[in-house]
Amino acid sequence: MHAMASDIETTGDLLIEAHGITKHYDGFSLKSVDLTVAEGEVVGFIGQNGAGKSTTIRALLGLFPTDGGNSRVLGCESSQLSRTEGARVKEGIGVVFDAISFPEHLKVADIGRIYARAYSNWDAHRFARMTADLGLDAKKTVKSLSRGMGMKLSLACALSHNARLLILDEATAGLDPMARDEILDRLRDFVAEPGHAILMSSHITSDLERIADRIVCIDAGRIVFDLPKDVITDEMGVARCRVADLEKIADSGIVPDTELRYLRHDYGIDVLVPDRFAFAESFPEIAVDRMTIDDYMTLTLKGGAR
Amino acid sequence: MKNAYLIEMTIFRDYARQLVALGALVSLCIGLGMQTPLAMPATLTCMFFMMSAMGLAAYDQLNHWELFRLTLPLSRRDIVLGRYAAIVTLGLLGMVVGTLGAVAIMAVVTAAGVPGEVGEAFAYDPDMLSVMAVVSCFTLLIGAVVASVVTPLYFRLGQTRATQILPTIIVLMFVIPVVILGNSGMLDGGIPGMELLSGALEALETPAGMAVGCVILIALSAAALCISAAISLKLYEKREL
Repeated sequence: MHAMASDIETTGDLLIEAHGITKHYDGFSLKSVDLTVAEGEVVGFIGQNGAGKSTTIRALLGLFPTDGGNSRVLGCESSQLSRTEGARVKEGIGVVFDAISFPEHLKVADIGRIYARAYSNWDAHRFARMTADLGLDAKKTVKSLSRGMGMKLSLACALSHNARLLILDEATAGLDPMARDEILDRLRDFVAEPGHAILMSSHITSDLERIADRIVCIDAGRIVFDLPKDVITDEMGVARCRVADLEKIADSGIVPDTELRYLRHDYGIDVLVPDRFAFAESFPEIAVDRMTIDDYMTLTLKGGAR
Repeated sequence: MKNAYLIEMTIFRDYARQLVALGALVSLCIGLGMQTPLAMPATLTCMFFMMSAMGLAAYDQLNHWELFRLTLPLSRRDIVLGRYAAIVTLGLLGMVVGTLGAVAIMAVVTAAGVPGEVGEAFAYDPDMLSVMAVVSCFTLLIGAVVASVVTPLYFRLGQTRATQILPTIIVLMFVIPVVILGNSGMLDGGIPGMELLSGALEALETPAGMAVGCVILIALSAAALCISAAISLKLYEKREL
């Protein structure tokens, strides 16, 4: 059940390809991280705080040297992205970090100028239109923007230079539900264009349920699952049962013993079911709910195993 | 590199405007206090080199800009060279503003016929311009050396950490050698080449000597900045962000 990147069949060219990325810090290590993002895909990257999402993203962007493994973004070695030979490849990458990343005295219009200087394919008209649509006043300074408005500005920048690949690290954090809807629509439009893809880390898994094609989860620096989103949300389920039912389910063999994961509550026990429809046929007396990404992550990371 | 330079100038633009206004006021006060326009371009040149080196580094750590900047289509080399180009531009801007300010004040004082010591000190004197050039080039060297020392530290350690250790570095590099030299008695004629230095200072009193002196000071400034940039490139290549 805990599929890894190598198990997933991807179609199209790989825009991100990482194998065995390893990086050691005091108290934390990335441990042989494998990650791929293919053309046309939206990959949701999830995990607890401090699990290694941002570190992985920074390693992919070549912001620090890794201790092992290799990664390529848009066909360029990550380690080359900050060197003269690879820097222009970043023309095709739009990046948004989890907080606004510009000096705070700059005005929205100044940010546009900075991007115009950095990107040869900067689309000033698109930026002006998008900032206006998102309610960003060109004369406002970064300092005066709320977190949500700051994230809108960052997203407007990332979407205005004809990037092929978006790497978004908690980019929808701080946005209100309506703004998130609007941004998700824009991201869908972006990925619908040929040759585009998105890697998106987020704690708001409801966003990922709406947009992602694949979910990759990292925990303590190690990838713990890499699955198509539809497998989680359309096939899997959570059986809400009594403690006594657990043995019955285990004995039935409907869930392979090694993959049986459960989470005890005060009033019962939740059991991860790989095929909720088959389960419902076998155990009509046990309620089985649709699996959410949150449920799956919780059961995988915190659930007990037999 | 050009893109990185233009980005630096965009970020620094508002601060540079404030700096020009502040620098003009400071240099005017110094000029009036010292009763000579010589100090005006000299002060601004030195001040702009130092302030731009430190000011630009200060913006790096705002909102993790330093980290995010590397996600733009820039190399680390572009960023380092763009930074030095911006420091030189702003330093020279200080020199130009200071010189124009000094000339403007001399013109106003001469045209208005201001009496007394101030009028005398600021009266237009063509010879003053060449002396002003030498003094400005000397402070250009001071500013360039300070920028050359602090900038690699900022690139290697980041603004916060570098600022913590800079006072120690400055004391080690500039204060301790002067104290040791002063107490050693070497300044009383014991330093080899002192006669050469005295000769050079005498030569500066001639027009040709002044021109050569300016060229040497500018060349030394450029050399300091080039060496510093080479060190910064090496240090920043290995920096983990």
